[in-house]
Amino acid sequence: MAESLGRLITDLGERSLYDAVSQCSRCGYCEQACPTYVATGDESKSPRGRNQIVRLMLEGKLDDKASSMEALSTCLTCGACTTACYAKVPVADIVLEGRRLLRGETHWLVRKICRIMIASPGFFAVLLKIGFLLKKLGLSRPARPLLRAAGLSVLAAMDEHVEETPLWNLDDATRHRTNPVKAAYRYFAACGPRYLFPRVGLATLSALDELKGAGAYLNNPCCGLLAHNYGELSDARELAKKNIEHAERNGTEPIVGDCSSCVAFLKSYPQLFLKPEDAAWRERAAAFSKRVQDAIEIYGECADRLPPAIAEGVETTYHDSCRAINPQGLKEQPRRAAKKAAGASYCEMEGADACCGGAGAFGFVHEELSDDLLKKKVGNVASVQAGVVITSSTSCLIQLARGFRKYYPDAKALHLSEFVAGALRKDHGA
Amino acid sequence: MRLAELREQVAPGSLLCAPAELSAYSYDGALDRARPDAVLIARSAEDVRRAVAWCAAWQVPFIARGAGTNLSGGCIPVKGGLVISLARLDRILSLDAAGLAACVEPGVVNLALQREAEKVGLFYAPDPASFRVSTIGGNAAENAGGPRCLKYGVTTNHIRAAEVVLPDGSLGRFSLDDEGPELLSLLVGAEGTLGILTKLWVKLTPLPEATRTILAGFPSIEAAVACVSSIIAAGIVPRALEAMDRPTVESVEAGRPLGYPKDPAVLLIELDGSRADCAREAAEVERLCREAGAAAVRAATDPVERERLWEGRRGAYAALARLAPNVLVEDGVVPRDKLPDIVRRIQEISAKHRVKAYLLFHAGDGNIHPNIAYDERDAAETARVKAAGHEMLQACVELGGSLSGEHGIGLDKRDAMAWLFTPETLRLFRRVKDAVDPRHLANPDKLFPIPGSKPGQGFVRPPAGASSEYANLLVDKVRSAPAGSVFRVRGASTRWRDATAEGAVELLTAGLGRVSDLDKRNYTLTVETGVSVHALHRELEGHGVFVRLPRCGGTVGGLLATRPWAGLREDILGMRVLLSNGEVVELGGKVVKNVAGYDLPRLLLGSWGTYGVILEVTMKLHARAVAVPAALPEPKPPRFSPLALRVRRAFDLEGRLNPWLAPSSRTFEGVPIASKPDDFGRNPKRLPPAPE
Repeated sequence: MAESLGRLITDLGERSLYDAVSQCSRCGYCEQACPTYVATGDESKSPRGRNQIVRLMLEGKLDDKASSMEALSTCLTCGACTTACYAKVPVADIVLEGRRLLRGETHWLVRKICRIMIASPGFFAVLLKIGFLLKKLGLSRPARPLLRAAGLSVLAAMDEHVEETPLWNLDDATRHRTNPVKAAYRYFAACGPRYLFPRVGLATLSALDELKGAGAYLNNPCCGLLAHNYGELSDARELAKKNIEHAERNGTEPIVGDCSSCVAFLKSYPQLFLKPEDAAWRERAAAFSKRVQDAIEIYGECADRLPPAIAEGVETTYHDSCRAINPQGLKEQPRRAAKKAAGASYCEMEGADACCGGAGAFGFVHEELSDDLLKKKVGNVASVQAGVVITSSTSCLIQLARGFRKYYPDAKALHLSEFVAGALRKDHGA
Repeated sequence: MRLAELREQVAPGSLLCAPAELSAYSYDGALDRARPDAVLIARSAEDVRRAVAWCAAWQVPFIARGAGTNLSGGCIPVKGGLVISLARLDRILSLDAAGLAACVEPGVVNLALQREAEKVGLFYAPDPASFRVSTIGGNAAENAGGPRCLKYGVTTNHIRAAEVVLPDGSLGRFSLDDEGPELLSLLVGAEGTLGILTKLWVKLTPLPEATRTILAGFPSIEAAVACVSSIIAAGIVPRALEAMDRPTVESVEAGRPLGYPKDPAVLLIELDGSRADCAREAAEVERLCREAGAAAVRAATDPVERERLWEGRRGAYAALARLAPNVLVEDGVVPRDKLPDIVRRIQEISAKHRVKAYLLFHAGDGNIHPNIAYDERDAAETARVKAAGHEMLQACVELGGSLSGEHGIGLDKRDAMAWLFTPETLRLFRRVKDAVDPRHLANPDKLFPIPGSKPGQGFVRPPAGASSEYANLLVDKVRSAPAGSVFRVRGASTRWRDATAEGAVELLTAGLGRVSDLDKRNYTLTVETGVSVHALHRELEGHGVFVRLPRCGGTVGGLLATRPWAGLREDILGMRVLLSNGEVVELGGKVVKNVAGYDLPRLLLGSWGTYGVILEVTMKLHARAVAVPAALPEPKPPRFSPLALRVRRAFDLEGRLNPWLAPSSRTFEGVPIASKPDDFGRNPKRLPPAPE
């Protein structure tokens, strides 16, 4: 059994896991918010069902590891249920706890990656580059069956889903950047924009520099979300501590990230330190989390300063990243910016706040279910005939790009940073 | 393995058997839990039919489930068996904007239908609080209400036809246009105990031109209720008339200040209609509110402002759900003028059991929801809360009300049915269940006290008004008739003029001439059925009230029994009926919203005297004239469907009432309950098409 948190920070205050899950009164008002319930009609794949499964596990009334794990592993942890819930039961956190209780050992590969992230992030970057190079050389495709045979079908799926694999990363691209003496913000380089979508990271830096003043690029450690969701809490805690120390060393300016999943996790750091012996760290984590902002929050605040729309003739719509809209409640802010920059070509699509099925590793593990959600999302994009879909996290960018390649080549997925930076650039050009 | 046999017949992967999966079907929105033996997530009506046929063959209990949000334990598989989930039967099959109708599968979520209807300027009126997640099928099974039902009626008023898989696995289609007894009313609201609805034809309503919302605070519950009565008496029927008590308002305001008046009672009144009517009625309502003592009156017309006024009402349950892990949402009904009494009783009961009840009510129809927050893990507290809830319901019954206005009876209130109904009436309910589901496979052990259970207080409803002398005469006539004699039930014989057969005993209802109760506070009328329709209209006009009956010759009873117009059903609240075994049963009551037990009063419409003799009927009254057809079709005795004949045996075992009209059969063993839908029903063309 993996270590579990045991206590959670809920909307109603700090609670034991059992108290948190018992707050679910089984009213069922969350059901239609849950993408996996809507897709399957299976109550055990609904927030209420998952809560009850965890609750029964804790009460010792359910001993069925295999199907309990199936119910919990199919949760996207999108958090839409919590948004719908009157008592704001933290289902995603409860599900993660349930998985920890059921998981025997953390998968060796996850463990390995987490350790590398902690001990030698530079080596991680090199490994990725090798992998990306192999993919560019066309060598990864024939290796897929081998990976699947070796029990690493996740890697095979990743190889299949991820199209963009640049041989330069954000660290390379910012090597010659000089940080100001007094930074207006510090950029938090999340792994997605850092290694997979450096174009997004560059866009964020250029947009934020312009809107907030020059910021700093400080080579932060990984946020630890991977370890938190799929690996060991001890690893997640270690990375959290590294980040907190790293940030404390460099003043008090806001910490701005551009992958909403990572940002939401940074904001939830205090939950990692609820044990009495971690009291001091809890305080530091709270101070750290207060400094964290999602880049899309800032674009929303600065929407008035964005240049008025320059007609592009392409319909633009917004797809909410789950970790932005649900735990962070960022619904209006990104739209304010997107609308200002897109002007009349902005249109709202149906189900914009529904998960696209990316959800971290979900898309690589539950490919069929993920594809169901993706098709629905692409259908909604197509019904407003959008050519540009704006979003704010790495998973969404990968998943949407895959969906458009597969089902709707007319559209492309952009991070809000790219869209905002593009508008600012165009403004200067004009 | 017999389950393997079912697995082969249904969509692959749709049968769940793992313990964790089954545990997710062991609960609903209430407290009880019981695990089924298997779950079928049906992908088609045919899956449902096959599964039920399989259950019938193996005598396995089956329980239909929509979203599983019901608050009365209705979908708990207490006897195990197969849960049949209808969640994936979620297609809107057709939507006929001009015909104001839609055909939907049972798993369609209420909100999804609302959204589609709105696109063509219509809406689906029933709006239970769970409308964002609950399904049309579940709403129909529970006969769900909602704030809007004061004006627009509950779910049964919006179902025109249904396709039903009956407990033997046969498939029937029942419509309001069918001849004979109104079987559709029996199946809607039966909480899945008589079959599974697999397709529904629902009525849609045009969106009103204008809507106005008024929020008013009153110095007392009495003042608020008096205001409600004066609004109804002024001929104004708001689309919603919601009330909250002070503790509820305070708990909402604690979370988010909305500026609700901090008075002992708050009314939220919403009007709709044409722009001019709405404005006129709003002015009138505001005046009536002030007259009743309301100091703070706020009104809004634009959607944002209106939503702000609603926010407190909508947020009430949400606020309570944050106070503790569980909230008991009790659901009782009283005649509207008894609302102040029930509030007092609830306060006494709460104090006695040391619980805090927050009151929300649909004041227009006397439907009250005491909400009690608690933690089910505290056994002692849970016991107190449950006891308090039950006492509150008992108080409703004692005040002449009912056990449930919209949540259903299910498991939670089945024993309480003995408070509301006499042993004779309960036996009739059971015989109806037996007639349709002799092996008790469809949602077993729900709705009625099970053998051996202790009802506690026994029958506590205030005695209904005494029968008239003439009614007693008829009862005696039936009781003293020699065994085996048959009866001719007749009113004024304006509709069926055949001579009485040799040897038959005449039960002439024309002597039942009493207007038993004309209640202008509650706007209800109880009248004996021998009263002539014309005379009744004349008498009511003298009092300035109106009833939904066409103007025609003959008696009220004859009109109801022959059902020449489907609209007769809309306002029927209760009946007193004489059965052929000499028992007199009291069905329904003086409350306008009531989902306790089978809807037998409506079932009796169109039964042509073959089920029982309707002695008295209770109907809703109106302060303004209601639209009724000017001419009625020439009535002729109906053809009875196989189901109608089965149900008849529940009422009249030996077929002694008007036997010339309904063929009787000693046994139905081996005979399917329903014929195939395509060869039954003379008017299938009147239903909107259901594309496959």
